[in-house]
Amino acid sequence: MSSTIVDSAAEFDVRDYLRKEMMPHFLCPGCGHGIALRALLWAIHELGIDKDKLAVVSGIGCAGRLSAYIDANTFHVTHGRPLAYATGLALARPDLHVVVITGDGDCLAIGGNHLIHACRRNLKLTCLMLNNEVYGMTGGQVSPTTSETRLTTTTPLGNAEPNFDACALAAAAGASFVGREVTHHVPKLKELIRAGLSHPGFAFVEVLSDCTEIFGRKNELGSSAEMVLRQKSELRPEAYRDTVDTPFRSNDLPTGVLTKTDRAEYGTAYRKAAAVQRAAKAAKSAAGISK
Amino acid sequence: MNRSNASSSSVESGQLRPTAAAAKAREPMNVLIVGVGGQGVIMVSKALASLAQSKGFEVKQSEVHGMAKRGGTVFSHVRFGPQVWSPTIPKGEADILVALEWAEGLRWLSYLKPDTGIFICDTKRIVPPFACLNRRPGAPLRYSRETPAEVKQHVAEGYAIDATQMAEELGNERAANVVLIGALSTALDFPPEDWEKALSQFVPKKTIAVNLEAFRLGRGWINEARTRVGVATVPAEAVPASMEAGYSVRLEITQQWCKSCDICVKLCPERCLRLNEERVVELAQPEKCTGCRLCELLCPDFAIRVHLDTAVPTQGAQA
Amino acid sequence: MNAIDKAPAPGAALRLISGNHACALGAVAAGCRFFAGYPITPSSEVAERLSRLLPEVDGVFVQMEDEIASIAAVIGASMGGVKALTATSGPGFSLKQENIGYAAGAEIPCVIVNVMRGGPSTGMPTRPSQSDIMQSRWGSHGDYPMIVLAPASVREIYTETIRAFYLAETCRTPVVLLYDQVIAQLTETVELSDGENRAPAERKWASGPRETYRPYAADEDGIPAMSRPGAGYRVHTTGLTHGENGFPTQNPEAVARNLGRLFTKFERHREAIDSWETLGCEDADVVIVAIGISARAAMRAIDIARAKGLRLGLFRPITLWPFPEKALRDATAGAHAVLVPEMNAGQLRLEVERILGSQRVHGLHRYDGEAISPEEIAARAQALAREKTT
Repeated sequence: MSSTIVDSAAEFDVRDYLRKEMMPHFLCPGCGHGIALRALLWAIHELGIDKDKLAVVSGIGCAGRLSAYIDANTFHVTHGRPLAYATGLALARPDLHVVVITGDGDCLAIGGNHLIHACRRNLKLTCLMLNNEVYGMTGGQVSPTTSETRLTTTTPLGNAEPNFDACALAAAAGASFVGREVTHHVPKLKELIRAGLSHPGFAFVEVLSDCTEIFGRKNELGSSAEMVLRQKSELRPEAYRDTVDTPFRSNDLPTGVLTKTDRAEYGTAYRKAAAVQRAAKAAKSAAGISK
Repeated sequence: MNRSNASSSSVESGQLRPTAAAAKAREPMNVLIVGVGGQGVIMVSKALASLAQSKGFEVKQSEVHGMAKRGGTVFSHVRFGPQVWSPTIPKGEADILVALEWAEGLRWLSYLKPDTGIFICDTKRIVPPFACLNRRPGAPLRYSRETPAEVKQHVAEGYAIDATQMAEELGNERAANVVLIGALSTALDFPPEDWEKALSQFVPKKTIAVNLEAFRLGRGWINEARTRVGVATVPAEAVPASMEAGYSVRLEITQQWCKSCDICVKLCPERCLRLNEERVVELAQPEKCTGCRLCELLCPDFAIRVHLDTAVPTQGAQA
Repeated sequence: MNAIDKAPAPGAALRLISGNHACALGAVAAGCRFFAGYPITPSSEVAERLSRLLPEVDGVFVQMEDEIASIAAVIGASMGGVKALTATSGPGFSLKQENIGYAAGAEIPCVIVNVMRGGPSTGMPTRPSQSDIMQSRWGSHGDYPMIVLAPASVREIYTETIRAFYLAETCRTPVVLLYDQVIAQLTETVELSDGENRAPAERKWASGPRETYRPYAADEDGIPAMSRPGAGYRVHTTGLTHGENGFPTQNPEAVARNLGRLFTKFERHREAIDSWETLGCEDADVVIVAIGISARAAMRAIDIARAKGLRLGLFRPITLWPFPEKALRDATAGAHAVLVPEMNAGQLRLEVERILGSQRVHGLHRYDGEAISPEEIAARAQALAREKTT
């Protein structure tokens, strides 16, 4: 028996997928978005997706800036619109692997309409929503996913609005793949993103990420390490629930693959219908000529 | 125990008595069923117990389960005969030991009757989490290293069946326990159709067909194995003496990328990292580093790359 | 004979179609293979036509969830290397502005049809207007270059749609096709021969090794070569102010260099961009400057006035932005007065005044949802001529 080391991560060097000349990236120390980016690139590596065929579309905000660091065809577009840009790109270029990186504000507030319709349309896209509960880039304002009572620069009295469950929203809108994971579980997050990338339709993946410098500081959530550790502890049920197999966050957010259904992929269905129409028309004109 | 008594001919002759009981008049038949939580140990024992009861025997069944977490050990004693006093089987008194998991089987071997005990064991290996306390990749597992060939020297009659594989081929891995019931059925002379009836009560309705198939497969496998050699084994992979590879850990740190966030330092399971005077991460105690990669995976700035250099024969980390 | 009333060539295939229909046919003829839109009066027929036409040529039509998504999808498709179009009207045009600015800044070719209807706000959806003249040029925030074409007939919508794609592709810019509700829904007999049209334009694609390719380093013509995803260049495209390498920068030198090039990048292409028509300007006492349906009324007004002995002329910018300044100066050099009839409160007049000074320039404005009649123009021109002689 040979003494080989079983170490699947050894083959993946994240730097092979980064624009090294752009590094170090501009994110704050301890920002969870960097961990999420690693998981995405790891999944892309494992699936053997050609960097030339990879298109990453991102919106505005901290999450939106990630695309600039990926050695691929990257598009940093307008606030809230990456899914709409990606829809055009993916429809026009079905040969590309289109990934959207967006944040909670970008995706659920200003871009909410695009999200629900992308879920409904089921075009093959992977939407990675990095949820750090805050508008970090603009200085820490309340976002649609900010937990209740949290302090932000625009909720000095504590957030009084209920927050979105983005995965429930996506599933209700008809997304055929929905999943959620925390940045602390890097291999699991990689597996989830990988499953999303492999899904033959619209895949929505929410990553619970930490904003230490702005959100964490304001709410006295401790260091980056503490915030990352809390992700794990919060996945445990407060009271021991009926099953250990379904982890819970303190606010009842389940993780893992939450929805997976088989639905016709929009682009394929459209092109198929178009081909049928063209064939019918060709047959008709051929018949006309033979007369 | 007489070989011919265990053959199907005695069942066909209509003598519905357990073989061992026939040999030892009033002594109860002792069947010990062991495995790992989630495999279906209890289901096997319930099927056997209900079948024995339906044949007019007094049955006692005693089990440990529930406290065992998923992956923990589970065992069940089934005793039946004209009269049974104690619910548990003393060491060295089991007529049959059915093990759904290899290491669990070995753990309970001392309960078998030394001269006549029958050992029926799935070669499936479920390595419990506490068998791999060492985080080093390839570190030795505290798991049995005995091969089936070695084990057979210690039992009167042993069968190592890759029941899980057989059940997988049937399309339902969970039917592995029923493959073993099929094997067990050859050692007790209840008619197969009664076994199947009992089984059908204990498996989910949707899976009755596949489970009956699994039963027949296990039964057929044993009968076939007996015609080949006295002790049958399927080729089972031997566990190497040590899977531990010689390697050294090297951390490649891109200092310009490190932002001193401290995640790696705080979350390293071995506490072997620290921030230096420039607030840049460094490997302070290389000998402690196992190369688990947690620091690499959790670094938001891609500043750490862990290399496991297998070319270096020594163990222990080097910065 | 003017361009609008041009007689079809003998033996040419004639079609009776609307302006919006002509736009759809022109787009397909220009090689457009992607349309994303959202229903809005009075431009919806462009979308409806293309939903049938595009699948026939292996193109893609998609109705998006809103106006913003439509322009975003169009830019996305174009970033993928496919010629793309969207069509809208006032309110939708307003919603699209941020992303039109993105296309201008990131230099992504695309064509936006804006069928002008009465405004402001929801205004008069079914009534004509010419009140988006300034918005079409300045609608998005920040400084940026823009090409706006203003066809005045069904046939011209067809040819200008083709030209819009030509300019968008060769100049790497969004191009707005601006026409009013009257022409959009006007049905005319037209000849759609492709013979005189330019061949479908091909974008200037990047070539050479990836290491030396700089996505926003322009050639001598001011236009940088674009890279197509999948071609191996793997570049970054952003709406942030960027340097020649495509990455965000705030370095004043790099910003000034790239924006300076952007603002002036049409200069070497003015010959292809500029387009106008003059009618009787050589001896005119009064020159009318008008676009779209107002220009058509002006042509009739010229006939009416000339019959009465008043020498009227017409200067009609077909390319509205950048405005054909020199041509306007030349055409109005001998005129006593310049009259700008337009269906708004004075937008085109503002530009004409900027070029000619306000002394000679007069406006004739209607914003009641009714087109300006030839008689109105003729009467006003006559009054101006009289003022001059007295």
